Amino acid sequence: MQKKFKLSSTIQCDVLIIGAGGAGLRCAAHILEKRPGTHIIAVTKVSHPQKSHTSTAQGGLAAVDPKDAVDRPIYHMFDTWKGSDCMADQDVVQKIVDAAWEEIVWLENRGMHFTRDEEGRLSKRTFGGHTVRFGEASAFRAVFEADRTGKGIMDNVWGEALKGGVAFLDQTLLTELLIRNDRCVGAVLFMEKTGEFVAVSAKATVLATGGCGQVFRVTTNCRQNTGDAHAVALQAGLPLIDMEAVQFHPTGIVGPGILASETLRSVGGILRNKELDPFMARYAPKMKELAPRDLVARAIETEIREGRGILNPDHNIEHIWIDLRHLSDYVHEVQIPEVSGFFKQFMNLDPRTQLCPVRPSNHYQMGGIPTNAFGEVQRSPDTVIFGLYAAGECGCSSFHGFNRLGTNSILELITMGRFVGERVVLSMDEAAEGLPADAGDKTFSRFAGYLENKKEENIDQIREDMRRMMTENVGVFRAEEGLNTAIHALTVSAERVRGAALRCRSLQMNQELVQRWEIDNLLSVSMVIAQGALRRRESRGGHARVDFPQRRDEFNAHTLACMTEFGKIQFASRPVDMSIFEAKGDNYEKFGLIERKY
Amino acid sequence: MKESYSLVFNIKRHDPEAHKSWMQTYRIEAGRILRFTDVLRKINKELDPTLAWNSSCEHAQCGSCSVVINGKPMLACELLVENAVVYFGTTTFTIEPISVAPVLRDLVVDLEKAYDRVHRIRPFIIQPSKNPNQGQEYRISPRRMEGYLDATRCINCFCCATACISSHKGFLGPNAVMASVVRIMDPREDATEDRLKQLYSEEGVYRCHTSKACSHVCPKHIDVAHFVGLAKERDFT
Repeated sequence: MQKKFKLSSTIQCDVLIIGAGGAGLRCAAHILEKRPGTHIIAVTKVSHPQKSHTSTAQGGLAAVDPKDAVDRPIYHMFDTWKGSDCMADQDVVQKIVDAAWEEIVWLENRGMHFTRDEEGRLSKRTFGGHTVRFGEASAFRAVFEADRTGKGIMDNVWGEALKGGVAFLDQTLLTELLIRNDRCVGAVLFMEKTGEFVAVSAKATVLATGGCGQVFRVTTNCRQNTGDAHAVALQAGLPLIDMEAVQFHPTGIVGPGILASETLRSVGGILRNKELDPFMARYAPKMKELAPRDLVARAIETEIREGRGILNPDHNIEHIWIDLRHLSDYVHEVQIPEVSGFFKQFMNLDPRTQLCPVRPSNHYQMGGIPTNAFGEVQRSPDTVIFGLYAAGECGCSSFHGFNRLGTNSILELITMGRFVGERVVLSMDEAAEGLPADAGDKTFSRFAGYLENKKEENIDQIREDMRRMMTENVGVFRAEEGLNTAIHALTVSAERVRGAALRCRSLQMNQELVQRWEIDNLLSVSMVIAQGALRRRESRGGHARVDFPQRRDEFNAHTLACMTEFGKIQFASRPVDMSIFEAKGDNYEKFGLIERKY
Repeated sequence: MKESYSLVFNIKRHDPEAHKSWMQTYRIEAGRILRFTDVLRKINKELDPTLAWNSSCEHAQCGSCSVVINGKPMLACELLVENAVVYFGTTTFTIEPISVAPVLRDLVVDLEKAYDRVHRIRPFIIQPSKNPNQGQEYRISPRRMEGYLDATRCINCFCCATACISSHKGFLGPNAVMASVVRIMDPREDATEDRLKQLYSEEGVYRCHTSKACSHVCPKHIDVAHFVGLAKERDFT
């Protein structure tokens, strides 16, 4: 006998923003500046918008300063295109890069505390893959706020959204998108604090829920990044794009999964295995520790796979060492104090005298919910869902292609957030459509199922097993056999979790219930990643197939994957936009199918 | 050095539907460098999936996991087991929710309510000052920023507000005051008088008894009391 759930209310608004991080609130701020008084509801899964994952970004924000004598937007476009392994959409690359500096000024004028030089101008620093004159020299292109650039952005867009009068719903989940005849009319939400379901009718719905890093065992992502909007989009019959394009950072700190940045290697840190052998010399004799991210990650993973890793007993995971003991006090104190401090803080280690454990960690999802350059969600390459938008890590217009450059992620979320805002403003004079009569029914049957199941299962264990399995088979290295193993294991996990009973059967502030819902989302997203990785029989950017180590032109298209029934995926593809190349302007040849070599 | 510890966690629990609160004891073995968030996760997996607690980034950058451990407000994500044993001199820990917001369940509080005070000081530029470089960034010297930069590292974890002896009696609280002081010192803000009026109002800085508990417990090691002090002395130079 199913519990009877009902909508506790139906709320009307102009704009519903789901995910109140950098992208979502930048969008809100733009709408309110252009059209004050717009009724915006911003929903967040975390306990307050300021707790969003955007706040954890450290490094910087890439943007070409028009006052810069050397740097030019075309160089930034080239770097992004090259880094993407020829899979970024060039119309999007051009649009974002051209808008970048305006966004920096917007943030600064509204109070972001950027780090400054002696003259009081914004300081800039270099970052891997960012160059001038098409790879000739490093570019000073990233503006930053110390080691907390993401927090600076978050504080600002939250403040502006608050100033403009956004209504926030904290600790609230998106459980269902309401789409009729390719028009999104709103969504169904579950409010954790009160245990209520509400339907929201909106002229525009914006998805900005972030990534899905919790699919993997070690990740730099927040606890809440479980691919919720991705899964809800799949349930609504929408495709996901390029989900097999996942970025792994070579050196995450074992345990908290926080990044031990490239700086450690650039100041002379040495990677060592169990025998203390400085193994990078075997993989990259010239560049050694300074080889590109993906190469270093694969080298570390190989060492671990071949039995030369070290098992951390507390976190029960294998790693290798980074050796910083030989570096001078000056380096420790002046050049790497923050990262060096993380080892002290989270591992109780002194990097001056002790070896520090690191391993490749999931970092970023390049794929997501497919959109065009305006952030409008696509059903297919030629059809959009009216009134539905996506921005930030959960969306994919494809600015990053198959590999994202450092400092391009927060640039993408802030610019795409604004672009979506621009589009939404244009649609505000249209009348809102009514909600379908069955709004909420799918949510109710799903949640009733969770609360009524009786089978004794340890859901946390299933989740842990899944994450470990995904890391082993669908992580840094992929091969046909492992991917088939993964797809099978996911099917088994989905079956195990299906009837699992919850101990706490309340709707109100029930963490167990939320985690039960999350594992459905994680399994769906994992399945799309694994099957996409199996289908893409080549290596490109973050997707490395041991059995197909080369990039192949026949795969030069985005993957679209629909999955309305678990495990049964319908694939299609979307061509890569090469409009810069096709325009045949200056330097157009740099935007052809170039090699990704550094 | 011990590899693992037998811990006793006495956790204050609350069931919102039964309107019931109680202390529950969990005995658990935990590795020396596990963080308290890891231990809570371990309790969920091995002993009790119903225990609710809050966290997000889990590396001391978001301030979601603040709890009161043996009387001290702290971030659970950065407290390692062996450090806790040394610091408190015991393997028994009492863990309670922070006290500046209503409890939703167990260790989870309604942070939105705690944030009401931060919202009240308007955490944005209320009235932008004239920018001589219209359409470009303001020029602010690093020396000028030095005076308030440390306060911008605040993550609103509310550890200071929980420790503050004045916090429960209509005081805006240390973190909210500090956020307002930042904007008073920020040359891009023109609404200084507005802000001062609030800081010198009934809910303002003179509620502060200068116990400096805020600075003592701040997980980001910000001298919060210093910024509250600047407001008291109206010295923002």
